Amino acid sequence: MSSEYDVERLLRWRSARAEADAPPAPSARQLIALARPWWERLPEQFAAYVERLRGQQLVYAHAATTPTQGQGPYPVPALLVRVAQEVESSARVLYLSVRDGRLRMRFRLDADSAVAEPRLEVTFVSDDQSRPLLEAVASQSTGHEYHLEVELPEWLESIWSELRVSDRMPFRFIMHAPSTAG
Amino acid sequence: MNDPPRRTRGALNHLWFWSFWHWSVESFRGGSLLHDPVHGLASHWDEWFRHEASADERRSIARAGATERSQRAFVVWLARCWCREVELGGAPVPPAFALGQLADVPPFRDWPAFARYRSTYGAEGVSAIVLAEGSDGEPTDVRAVEAIMLPPDAEGTASAFIAEGFHASEVDLEVSRQAAMSVLAGPGLASLLARWLASGRRPYPRTLAVALALGWLAVAGMIVWLLIGPDPGVRLVPLGATLTALWCTLSLVALTTATVVVVRGWREGHRWRARLETSQVRLRVNGGLTLRGGSAGLPFCLDTLLATYRAESRARTPTWLWSQAIGGLQAHAGGWAATGVVTASGQIKPVMLEAKIRAVRQTAGVRAMLVPRQRHAQGLASPISIEVQAAHGVAGRATPARSPRGPLGFAAELRPLRITRCRSIAQAVHAASGMRNVAQLCTNLLALAVSAVMVAALPDIRDVLAPPVAPMVVAPSSASPYELWVSLDTQRPEAFVVTLESEFWTNRRAAVAPALGPDIPPRAELSLRRLHRQTFSTEEEGTVWVARRHRFLGRELIPGERVGRYFLSYLFRLPHG
Repeated sequence: MSSEYDVERLLRWRSARAEADAPPAPSARQLIALARPWWERLPEQFAAYVERLRGQQLVYAHAATTPTQGQGPYPVPALLVRVAQEVESSARVLYLSVRDGRLRMRFRLDADSAVAEPRLEVTFVSDDQSRPLLEAVASQSTGHEYHLEVELPEWLESIWSELRVSDRMPFRFIMHAPSTAG
Repeated sequence: MNDPPRRTRGALNHLWFWSFWHWSVESFRGGSLLHDPVHGLASHWDEWFRHEASADERRSIARAGATERSQRAFVVWLARCWCREVELGGAPVPPAFALGQLADVPPFRDWPAFARYRSTYGAEGVSAIVLAEGSDGEPTDVRAVEAIMLPPDAEGTASAFIAEGFHASEVDLEVSRQAAMSVLAGPGLASLLARWLASGRRPYPRTLAVALALGWLAVAGMIVWLLIGPDPGVRLVPLGATLTALWCTLSLVALTTATVVVVRGWREGHRWRARLETSQVRLRVNGGLTLRGGSAGLPFCLDTLLATYRAESRARTPTWLWSQAIGGLQAHAGGWAATGVVTASGQIKPVMLEAKIRAVRQTAGVRAMLVPRQRHAQGLASPISIEVQAAHGVAGRATPARSPRGPLGFAAELRPLRITRCRSIAQAVHAASGMRNVAQLCTNLLALAVSAVMVAALPDIRDVLAPPVAPMVVAPSSASPYELWVSLDTQRPEAFVVTLESEFWTNRRAAVAPALGPDIPPRAELSLRRLHRQTFSTEEEGTVWVARRHRFLGRELIPGERVGRYFLSYLFRLPHG
């Protein structure tokens, strides 16, 4: 028996075993489902997250004992979804620019809940109607600051192009660390 | 064609930084950026460099960072040119802040020329003693604190206090800021001024200070002479005039100096407080600590004062008081460590001291320590060398250094540690700045004592230097044949003395007593006694002299000028009372 013949047979046998053990390839329906945004695939979870976001009231309550310099920026309520827990947090938008149909944003996560995640999947949720607006990936810059850039739907572009960074933002954040995304 | 000047060349080489700056300014103006271009320098640069810079600009930046020399050229240009041209709240941007901000963002965080700016502002301050968890007092527990002050941002969105390199309660930091403000204008300032008035160095040249001290000594000498020395007689008037003139001059100099210093310091303190109230203070303590407890309040407060002083002295020369107080503190800040909880009114509350003093004693470069006034604070600074303490174990701590043959013995020289106990921030500033001057304290005490005596003696001196007009003798006279009343028409009876000279009656002298009622003039009462051997047989023989009375704080001096002469015959015939 030649050794070449034995090796070829052995490889075929191993390949047949691997094919038999491998999970079946996703069907077209499954592929379409995977391409859908996560809130469509997991509507109950989205609803639960939105409910928690709605519970966060991050508005200024003027109980200061001394006059303040200014009203300052409005924090954006954020729900940070980690593997083990969900943390209610807030973010401050430091830079916001809508140009050529794209949104460029820089925000800083509240230091108490800051994570060392280099990337975060950020879902913008409408502040008034609690519906998802868009999804983007934010990458960490310096410290607790993240940057994201995303294409905007036309209807959002016309509204958000008027926004100033010191305005109250018409959205809230659901943030997923990559390990928990999808 | 001539080369452009060096300054212009620098700007041309770094046009990319101006591109960034204008993007930042315009974005802020357009409402896209939250913080103003200076307060948000690092964040804005990061955004611009990563996402906005063009390919050409990136190439220029890469060229600027290609060699350490070109990197240093950028650093120098930034500090000397850019920081002076860019204004924040009417003041130039502190170079240490700009360099420190950029040092942490790409690509500068990889540039060796920025390495020295990553962990320091170059603003040496009073060190804080923050014990690490489980530490019994190690040199590493003495933490360098740096503080810089930035003007408020345009939108008022920046925090009043930024903790860099550590985490602390915002409330504690705010209390430190309030305490610093109380020293600039408030109860703390009043306390500081009182301390300066009592024992602070004065803004005189040394020769003038010596001359003034000698002047006070001379005044004291003249007072002693008038009190217990030989009677000056006819020299009383020049002596009194000299004494008064010298005392007035010295008092005027002292009061004018004090008033000018206090008023200027007061005004400037209020201005500084207003600036501090609206400014941002950035405190840096490296190490990523999370502070528990408020014992770092005292150093934070002192470093906030230092930051205010540095920021304000860049714009204009500080007044003498603040140059001495906080400028003096700045000059010695590196040699001081401090611990204590502060209150918003500037009081210092007790803290745990033993381990902290132990830590400071082991730290090279720190020679003095500010602690709260509490029991055992002084005793802990006993001059025992730290090596000996370690060899025998300190406060129940196990001895770290042991030899197989037994405990080690050390004979190292003592390192003196000066511990100053303070009740208030003002006291701490006064002590750490070196304002206290023992010679001035002695001079002040002497001046105070001398002035008290002079004020008490002023009526007597007035009678000598500005005597009242000579009085007339008026009715009534005494009805008794054994008593002579000499009533005088004067408002200042204490300035006169009456003398009877007779060869029938015994000579007498009496001071004029004040009036006993509204219609009764002041008078001198002399009892009349006949001489045993009378030259004259008539009892009306005799002369009464009215003279100016001289005295100094109860000591009767020889009477002065005689201003009235009356015969007894005339006085006896005046209407009786």
